[in-house]
Amino acid sequence: MRQPLDWQIASVKEIRPETAKVKTFTLSLPNWTAHLAGQHYDVRLTAEDGYQAQRSYSIASEPERQGEVDLTVERIEDGEVSAYMHDVLTEGDRIEVRGPIGGYFVWDSESPEPLLLIAGGSGVVPLMSMLRHRAAVGNTNPARLLYSSRAFDDIIYYDELEKLRGNGHGLDVFHTLTRKQPEGWKGYSRRIDDAMLKEVIKPLRQVPQVFICGPTLLVESAANTLVRLGLPPAQIRTERFGPSGTSTGG
Amino acid sequence: MEETINDMNRQLMLDANAVAGVFQEIFGAEMTAAPTECVHCGAEGEVGTLLAFTQAPGIVLRCPSCENVMIRITQTPNAFYIDARGAVYLRLAR
Repeated sequence: MRQPLDWQIASVKEIRPETAKVKTFTLSLPNWTAHLAGQHYDVRLTAEDGYQAQRSYSIASEPERQGEVDLTVERIEDGEVSAYMHDVLTEGDRIEVRGPIGGYFVWDSESPEPLLLIAGGSGVVPLMSMLRHRAAVGNTNPARLLYSSRAFDDIIYYDELEKLRGNGHGLDVFHTLTRKQPEGWKGYSRRIDDAMLKEVIKPLRQVPQVFICGPTLLVESAANTLVRLGLPPAQIRTERFGPSGTSTGG
Repeated sequence: MEETINDMNRQLMLDANAVAGVFQEIFGAEMTAAPTECVHCGAEGEVGTLLAFTQAPGIVLRCPSCENVMIRITQTPNAFYIDARGAVYLRLAR
């Protein structure tokens, strides 16, 4: 599909803290087009001397929301763009963006297959767009989210995920905390491994469509494990988030 | 090639989803879902599956199966330079 991609000036409608290092930016877009769940926007900053820095940030909101998108952004130490967004940008400011972008890591809500989502850290953002979209269209196919965070306070969207899980539309959510667990923690307490993935996919009777997003190591290890467990590689779509300071993350 | 594999920094590795915007700028179309094939090992897959290195002076995309360099993109103020000699083809829907 031919689709020119033009930069536009969005205005920052709202900024909400999600965790200590993560904020959600609601951007009003003059040239809004409905996105596909999983797509991203490019954000570009231009200094007075002409120097430009550009990063990609996943859309967190559902496409049913007209005229605006939520970008949930983790503040990366020394990240040129994320640090500016976190520390400098305020509501009412303008910022240059282009999108929605991407066609590989996207979920079609008409797809009849169950959905298996695996996230590490802020890799949950595009998956959240899928879950919000799923709820908005009333899709009730079985869906499971396995979400790995360092500590409880690092979990993004915890309350909303609890709500989505509780509304009886076939979504189940599994958390694993790899560094620190609160007292009485009932979720997993280790890195994603074979046994964990086996437990999470077992109740799915059909082969699911899988989306994995997070740091490279998590993405590769989860994808390789699923293939070992017999899932066809073609069913697995991955998106790597860079570590500190790289393109998608910074 | 051994040296090709050794100069890869997996810590900086992303995938081609991260450069979807650049692709769309060049081709005027969404390219991450476009099929492609590796010259070196013959693996076929969508552009979005390619390993991406964006910290180099240009963008380097490698085959996820054999890690052969498939596509290199360099941007100057006035032009894009695209070296795709590691890809048999890129399929664009009409």
